[in-house]
Amino acid sequence: MSILIAALLLLAAATGSGVALTRTPRRQVMAMAVNGLVLALLFMVLQAPDVAFSELAVGTVALPLLFLAALASVRMDRRSDRARDGG
Amino acid sequence: MTRRARLLLCVLAAACLLPACLHVALHMPPFGAHPLPYGEAINALATRQRHVTNMVSAVNFDYRGLDTLGEEFMLLGAVTGTAVLLRGSRGEQLTARPGRVGNRPVAPRSDAVVLICRALAALTVLFGVYVVLHAMTTPGGGFQGGAIIAAATALIFLGEGYRGWRRIMRTGLLDAAEGGGAALYALCGFAAMAAGWPFLHNFLPLGTPRDVFSGGLMQIENAGVGFAVAGGFAVLFVEFLEETRAERDGDGA
Repeated sequence: MSILIAALLLLAAATGSGVALTRTPRRQVMAMAVNGLVLALLFMVLQAPDVAFSELAVGTVALPLLFLAALASVRMDRRSDRARDGG
Repeated sequence: MTRRARLLLCVLAAACLLPACLHVALHMPPFGAHPLPYGEAINALATRQRHVTNMVSAVNFDYRGLDTLGEEFMLLGAVTGTAVLLRGSRGEQLTARPGRVGNRPVAPRSDAVVLICRALAALTVLFGVYVVLHAMTTPGGGFQGGAIIAAATALIFLGEGYRGWRRIMRTGLLDAAEGGGAALYALCGFAAMAAGWPFLHNFLPLGTPRDVFSGGLMQIENAGVGFAVAGGFAVLFVEFLEETRAERDGDGA
């Protein structure tokens, strides 16, 4: 096993733990994107470039974007909510 | 459940699982070895039988083409479900204002972001089309290329802002690409049946190996997947980002 693969496996473990240990949702999304980037590099080194493309596009672009949009939508001020809560 | 009981349960579960985990870990094949005969067989046969050099495409679109059809409709179902869940008129108008989160300011885009996104989005679309077109010869294919093209639309959103982005994202076209791509894949199967072959039989001329347009029917299936994935992801982006716009009167119901 080459040093590159070992280093990337360690990085994947470190960034994966980072996702699990991050408590704020917004930061967790970013941690997940970093983890996806490391996984994409790992797939590339393991000679699976097609899987790396998918991981890169889905794991580091699509998934974080959808999560951020969902988080923003959840925390947004809603007129109807405010009227209901009497605020 | 008290902390003590939870800890006891955890230890018990670990004691049950650990021997099995250790057994599997100690009997795994060494790193990098692949003892499965299927891959070897495909590597030996696919270029001769199907005239393609990307074995993954040969498996996805031909040897196990039915599985990919199933996945295609899983994607279609998931996107349709999301669109139904997030229906409503919020964000439908191009002039919809961004929603506010507390008192956090809505920062304007910097010129650098606009410039980088305009340059990168065009190149990313180009690369996505390249990956879709070269499915039969080099790693990649309809799914990968489609996802890359959809990622480029996210870049356009970043660079142009909501209004400019929605002007480019014609939702009717995206829906048509999503549904039409999946239908194209299914029609490939039925076309083979209509001509008297089994479902998804590769009945088109296979072309020369290493040629971009080799692989026969796989080319059309691959294009269908490319359209469906690019359209599907783009529809998801539109549906989700519509939710970040402010409500108009009557949207909340």
